[in-house]
Amino acid sequence: MSFANFLDYHHFPVYSIMVLFLGAFLIVLFGKNKFMRNLLAFLAVSISLACIVALVKPVMLDGEIIAYWMGNRAVAGGYAIGIALEVDALSLFFALLISTAVFVSGIYSLQYMEHDNNVPEYYTLFLMLSGGVIGLVLSGDIFNMFIMVEILTFAAVALTAFRNKAHGALEAAFKYLVVGCIGSTCILVGIIMLYAQAHTLNFAQLSAVIPGNMNNATKLAFALLFVGFGTKAFIVPFHPLAADAHGAAPASISVLISGVLTKSGIYGLIRLTYFLFQTMNLGTFQFLLVFIGSVSMFVCVTMALAQHDFKRLLAFHSISQIGYVLAAVGLCTGLGFSAGLYHAMNHTLFKGLLFLCAGAVLHQTGTTNLDELGGLSKKMPWTTGLFLVGAFSISGLPPFNGFASKWMVYQAAYQKASETGNIGFLFVTLIALVTSVLTLASFVKVSQSVFFGRLPAKYENVKEVKGGMIFAMCLFAILCVVTGLFPSAVTKYLTEPAARAVFSVVNYIDAAMGTGYAASAMGENLPVVASFNFNELGYWSPISWLLILCIALLAVTIVAVSGKYDKVSESSEIADSKYDLFFGGEKSVYSQVGGGDLFWGFKHNWRHYFSFMHDLHSGIVNDYSLWAIVALAIVTLFIQIVL
Amino acid sequence: MMTIVLTALQYLGYILIFPGFLFCFVIGMLLCGIDRKIVARMQKRVGPPVLQPFYDFFKLCGKETIIPAAASKTTFLAAPLVGLAALVVLQLFIPIHGFSAFSGMADIIVILYLLLIPAMAAMLGGAASGSPYAGIGLSREMVTIIACELPLVMVLLAVGKVVGGDAVTFSFSKIANYQLANGSLITHASLIPAAIAMLLIIPGETGNHPFDTAEAETEICEGLLAEYSGAPLAVYKLTHCVKVLTLTSFFAALFLGGIGTGIVVVDALILVAICIVLTIVSISFVHAITARLKIEQVFKFYWTIVTGLALISLVLAWYGL
Repeated sequence: MSFANFLDYHHFPVYSIMVLFLGAFLIVLFGKNKFMRNLLAFLAVSISLACIVALVKPVMLDGEIIAYWMGNRAVAGGYAIGIALEVDALSLFFALLISTAVFVSGIYSLQYMEHDNNVPEYYTLFLMLSGGVIGLVLSGDIFNMFIMVEILTFAAVALTAFRNKAHGALEAAFKYLVVGCIGSTCILVGIIMLYAQAHTLNFAQLSAVIPGNMNNATKLAFALLFVGFGTKAFIVPFHPLAADAHGAAPASISVLISGVLTKSGIYGLIRLTYFLFQTMNLGTFQFLLVFIGSVSMFVCVTMALAQHDFKRLLAFHSISQIGYVLAAVGLCTGLGFSAGLYHAMNHTLFKGLLFLCAGAVLHQTGTTNLDELGGLSKKMPWTTGLFLVGAFSISGLPPFNGFASKWMVYQAAYQKASETGNIGFLFVTLIALVTSVLTLASFVKVSQSVFFGRLPAKYENVKEVKGGMIFAMCLFAILCVVTGLFPSAVTKYLTEPAARAVFSVVNYIDAAMGTGYAASAMGENLPVVASFNFNELGYWSPISWLLILCIALLAVTIVAVSGKYDKVSESSEIADSKYDLFFGGEKSVYSQVGGGDLFWGFKHNWRHYFSFMHDLHSGIVNDYSLWAIVALAIVTLFIQIVL
Repeated sequence: MMTIVLTALQYLGYILIFPGFLFCFVIGMLLCGIDRKIVARMQKRVGPPVLQPFYDFFKLCGKETIIPAAASKTTFLAAPLVGLAALVVLQLFIPIHGFSAFSGMADIIVILYLLLIPAMAAMLGGAASGSPYAGIGLSREMVTIIACELPLVMVLLAVGKVVGGDAVTFSFSKIANYQLANGSLITHASLIPAAIAMLLIIPGETGNHPFDTAEAETEICEGLLAEYSGAPLAVYKLTHCVKVLTLTSFFAALFLGGIGTGIVVVDALILVAICIVLTIVSISFVHAITARLKIEQVFKFYWTIVTGLALISLVLAWYGL
């Protein structure tokens, strides 16, 4: 084999997984040296990212589906025995998100983790986690998916407890371990049942064979797999785990848990519902996904309003945004898929940015308690600015990326409602829009209580974080703005190919099993490729909009400045009481005016709801395990009843 | 080359003069002046001259701008300007009869979000001042926004459904064209509750009586504006006036389209007349006969009565009545 063969892009999927695992093992061996460790970690994440990016052209643009058989053990006698990687546009789309998040988080870690103990172990676990997730989305084999799920779950559990002296870290990791294991077990049992029915583990072959073998056992397998991947995506009712895990984990790991782990769950759900079980009655899937998505959206955003910890708050928002993804994907239209995947990408970007900002605050002040912090904007101007970019993105203010994707989600749901005449989908649009405003409200609270407001005396000496961390945050922020400004490019080159891949199951099967296999194996079950349009209902042209806003802003500023707007009087060395804040005439220490609860009017009207939610989120792992089992029972019943 | 320059000048004219800044400035101030006069007359007072908002504005501009020692200066000063610019941009997208300065660049969902930016800017500016009163004002402003948002969304969805029929639309120009062809949407029976809801939303969005809990002067010293003085305060006052214009003309574009002649100047005058009437109906009358509500009452009012009205419209529109 010549050297040029190694650079054939068909090998890139396996390289991108391999370098991460290889990096993990090399760091165990050579990680005592700081320079060596950082170099190895950086090389691993950047080579992996490069391999994935190099695949964009053949897979996304040319529409090739890469089926890669380990050791060349391809299909023999109609059975796919070998270990396979299969990369279509959907896999690559998720791999791209994941490796970008891993790359930025890796850069951030270099400075963020330097004062921690056991840094080599951190990088080992970090790379195991990353390799696990990329392996999961590129795998063409359901059992390997399970192995990757196990690797990533255990790496994530260990990383959650990494700062095990911190309050609650071990508890969070334990909860995650218990419920994560319930999820993994569900996946394993589901796979076993599928294997018993279809006698194969290859994803493509399963997709072809299952439609002919639809019976109670496969339906139960579906329910098990659904719940299993649901725990990985932390959708309701598994959201309390995410809150605990994010609260305890280092910020760079929160980026991975929110931007990467949840994506692996979403990926699993899409593969499960639209590939393995594509001939089941799609209407019921829609109901299930859209319903869970809407509930996740709303429940988690209200939970976020009640939080007092920066990272826990972000964790609930993370699940709330995942709800948008799930609801949009469940619509099962071209626009819906495109919107859902777009939002999944944006979720990785803005959530990553926000968690890194929270990490920066934690790194400099030692706390993420919203009630203790305040006034950091004067001390940490970069972090404040970048946080605002993230906050505007997640709340969907134009022209940031959250707006573009949420706009598509609203449209997709509304279009679906008017096409099917089902008023239920209308409420999805409604819930999505209201959730968006509640998200904005929640981030106003964070900016008020962390970056603006009064600076407590103990933070007088806080400094801005170091350049490397700012650089990592800037990468995310730039991506947030770029993907918001060019939505048509994003949809055309990234999300639409991925959405089309979901609707072309036959190509996926044929790429692995040989042309014509799908037609012969599936017979009358062969899915008709649904025609779908990407037509949008409204107009949104961010570049021209931004241009107009800039001109308007410039005009206002010029007029204002020429009118001596910037001629202000500021406090100087000589104390003058006119620069003090107004406290109703009292000295500030005697003032009765508190910041109070930011959402009092809202919470007062909803007090029964909030106290109900408070009781429900008991924080006891037994309860959460029970929820998982109840969810499994409900999904099983649902499948049995509707099919 | 010449045509490019001319087009650029034309668009610049749109942004700066009509229907941009100058138009917003003059008409917005005028609406507020009329509002104050009418309220005063209804309360048997003489009231200020109609031009009083102009006098206030220029007087404020000449005053000293004090930046509190605890404030973060950039955000504190930039926030009022961003809010004003966003509102003016919003005004550019609202069609006046057949004329619209920039069509095909945004739809009603964009407008929904643009409406949030001035409030957002005011909140960040208030937060940046470090005042505890601003903290309370901020929380109340936020709750008011949440309260208004749900019915507003429902109203827009109902309008989109009526205009689009089976092919639902979010496009503003389609709404304008539909009304040009079929007459005002207010004549559409199913949209009458939505129009009433929208009339009730206007004072909430602009922060007028009785929904001005966020700025309650006697109680929390104007909340978000507690630490503002001089020119930035003047900009906030102007923003409030422009918001009155924006929301009333938004109402006019949604429900009272199709009234006009096709000559832009005349149509603009008609729009101003409509806005004056709407201001009197939805802001002045309500102001004169009510007392300020508590914040939880504001929330409850919007999420029960106003949302109920909007929901009736939405369901009626959905079933094609």
